[in-house]
Amino acid sequence: MQMERFLEPRVLIVSGKGGVGKTTVAAALALVAARQGRTVCLAEVDRKGSLPRLFDAPGLDYSPKEMSPGVWGMNIVPEDALGEYLEVQYHMKRISKAFTSTHFVDYITTAAPGLKDILVLGKIWYLEQGRTSSAGAPYFDTIVVDAPAAGHMLTFLSAPMGLSDALRVGPVRRQSDWLLDMLRDPQRTRVHLVTLAEEMPVSETLETSAALHDRVGISSGAVFANAVYSKLFTPAEAKSLESLDRDPMVTALVTEAKGVGLDLDPGDIDALVGYARFLEARRSIQNVHLKKLDKGTEEPVVELPFLFSAGLALPDIETLADRIEAEIEQL
Amino acid sequence: MNPISELVSKKEVIVCAGAGGVGKTTTAAAIALQAAIDGKKAAVLTIDPARRLASSLGLKELSSEPTRVSPRKFAAADIEVKGELHALMLDTKSTFDKVVTNYAPSPEQAQRIINNRFYRNISGTLSGTQEYMAMEKLYELHADGGFDVLVIDTPPTRNALDFLDAPKRMTDFFESRVLRWFLMPYMKAGGGLMRVANVAAMTFLKVVKRIVGTEVLEDTAEFFGNLEGMYEGFKQRARDVASLLQSDATSFVVVTSPSEDSVSEATFFASRLNESGLPFGALVVNRVHPKIGDGIEVKSRQLTKLEAGGKDARMLAKLLDNESAFMRVVHLEERNLDALARKIPRHRWVRVPYLEREAVDFPGLLAIAEQLFAGSGPSAR
Repeated sequence: MQMERFLEPRVLIVSGKGGVGKTTVAAALALVAARQGRTVCLAEVDRKGSLPRLFDAPGLDYSPKEMSPGVWGMNIVPEDALGEYLEVQYHMKRISKAFTSTHFVDYITTAAPGLKDILVLGKIWYLEQGRTSSAGAPYFDTIVVDAPAAGHMLTFLSAPMGLSDALRVGPVRRQSDWLLDMLRDPQRTRVHLVTLAEEMPVSETLETSAALHDRVGISSGAVFANAVYSKLFTPAEAKSLESLDRDPMVTALVTEAKGVGLDLDPGDIDALVGYARFLEARRSIQNVHLKKLDKGTEEPVVELPFLFSAGLALPDIETLADRIEAEIEQL
Repeated sequence: MNPISELVSKKEVIVCAGAGGVGKTTTAAAIALQAAIDGKKAAVLTIDPARRLASSLGLKELSSEPTRVSPRKFAAADIEVKGELHALMLDTKSTFDKVVTNYAPSPEQAQRIINNRFYRNISGTLSGTQEYMAMEKLYELHADGGFDVLVIDTPPTRNALDFLDAPKRMTDFFESRVLRWFLMPYMKAGGGLMRVANVAAMTFLKVVKRIVGTEVLEDTAEFFGNLEGMYEGFKQRARDVASLLQSDATSFVVVTSPSEDSVSEATFFASRLNESGLPFGALVVNRVHPKIGDGIEVKSRQLTKLEAGGKDARMLAKLLDNESAFMRVVHLEERNLDALARKIPRHRWVRVPYLEREAVDFPGLLAIAEQLFAGSGPSAR
């Protein structure tokens, strides 16, 4: 798949179970788009997440701020979205301020679940339409959303359906239909799921992907399998690991090392062999789940490397962006 | 003594807490399994609708009532279990129904609340409900006294602390004056008060009504009307739950991985426990990369030479490359864990390294339990 096609939908929603690196992947996708010269809005949803730290930027709020060249960060807070909605739709700026500052929104959204989601999706739609009421914010070519964790994501994305079912007519019904149109149009929106190559995240990802398609009519984009250990050894080399800590292999390795001026003691050999076996063992667990993932979804699976630096700062995101770019060209 | 074994021998309630994705559920299950092996009548209460936990325990599915893991299953896996292991999953809705039934002045009023649409939405959407009900269920199980030890994993909240505040947040929510003020026009008995509600509120409500419909507001008002008179009961129960959690019978196990994020969450969590007078018992550091050797110093020109060499030389280059990559991770994890050790002393830690198999069945779970109950203290790595 060429980059053009991958980035054709302007709304990229990134989701996955907690702890799988969803935010990291969202950030990498934002970099990928920015490298193509696009102005990107990278949005977290109603949470104080780790996005700002990845970019070494101050905390995010409802008005987008540029975090790195071409990448603007924001936090879509439902209360703020309600304020903006009331202001734009009903010119209730002053009143809306008073109400959004109380917990009133909590009560109303409890009474009508999904309203919060609608508000957030509404804001995404508003951004997609190229409108904004935030001073200084540019037109965004791409909107990357670091969406709620997968379990909640179905409710999140199906909220407009609920609303459209409940309301037969009226302005809100019309607006809710606009949201559905945006979500269901693969040329406008893509949902990318992030997972780890482990039992639980993989089965949840497959369930979410199927449910998105069947229940909401959204086709997901790529599935990103995060933190996959590299295939360092060829099958023959992997096989040889079994006998690696015995002669003649040990002598051969020590001799080769000596040849380049490196002294290996028995402890070093243990470490070399131990880590090689560890890598292979973990990798073979991951392989099982990667296979299950591949079999279970029609969407392309993009493997992202386990980052041995794992301190997670901008350079790591750049590395992931490099990989995503390379993989996309091959899809 | 290993801090986890100590807890299991002395405590009746063990709460596993930590950020999402660090292995809380598995840890809770492994602790309960070991307790059962040691002769306790143990129950694990999970929040996560994790089918994997059920299947790793050899159960088809978990229900909201304790299900005993059949001794035959243990025998088949060649595990000698002196006690009993039970597992159950939190059902937020039915637990909440029970709370309502307990505190409603009459069965009719309880039914009115349970049938109310606003109420039906609460359990699914209101943040904190699940946490509140988890604590409620825990209290109920403990009060029933059917088990020697209860192990619970806390909800995968964004913030591991949410469940500590949940009871208070819920009771605050029910008692909110702001809400009453807004709903006044919709409260049946308060028809005459409509005039009091000011113009701003009315304008706003008009908009809300257009968005969510009159019914929703009426349901909400009805719900809060029916709840009248039950607050004291709720609050009393919240206080009881808090005192169980603070008592000697309870201990908290904080679960973390060595990643920067979860370490900082664990640190914060431990200090919050302390502030709230909740007994911290042990720290489980999961998913630690093993440390093998002290690191091999190799220069890049040596690597380049090896890469250009024969089969054995190229293999050696890969081995060295791999070793140094893992060493980088190990050092990074150690740095994070050193920071953690400044807050939580290492003798309260148990490390569970990445194992070469997953905890998807009894042997996998046992392997984790073995690590939890043995590999303790500062010399474990």
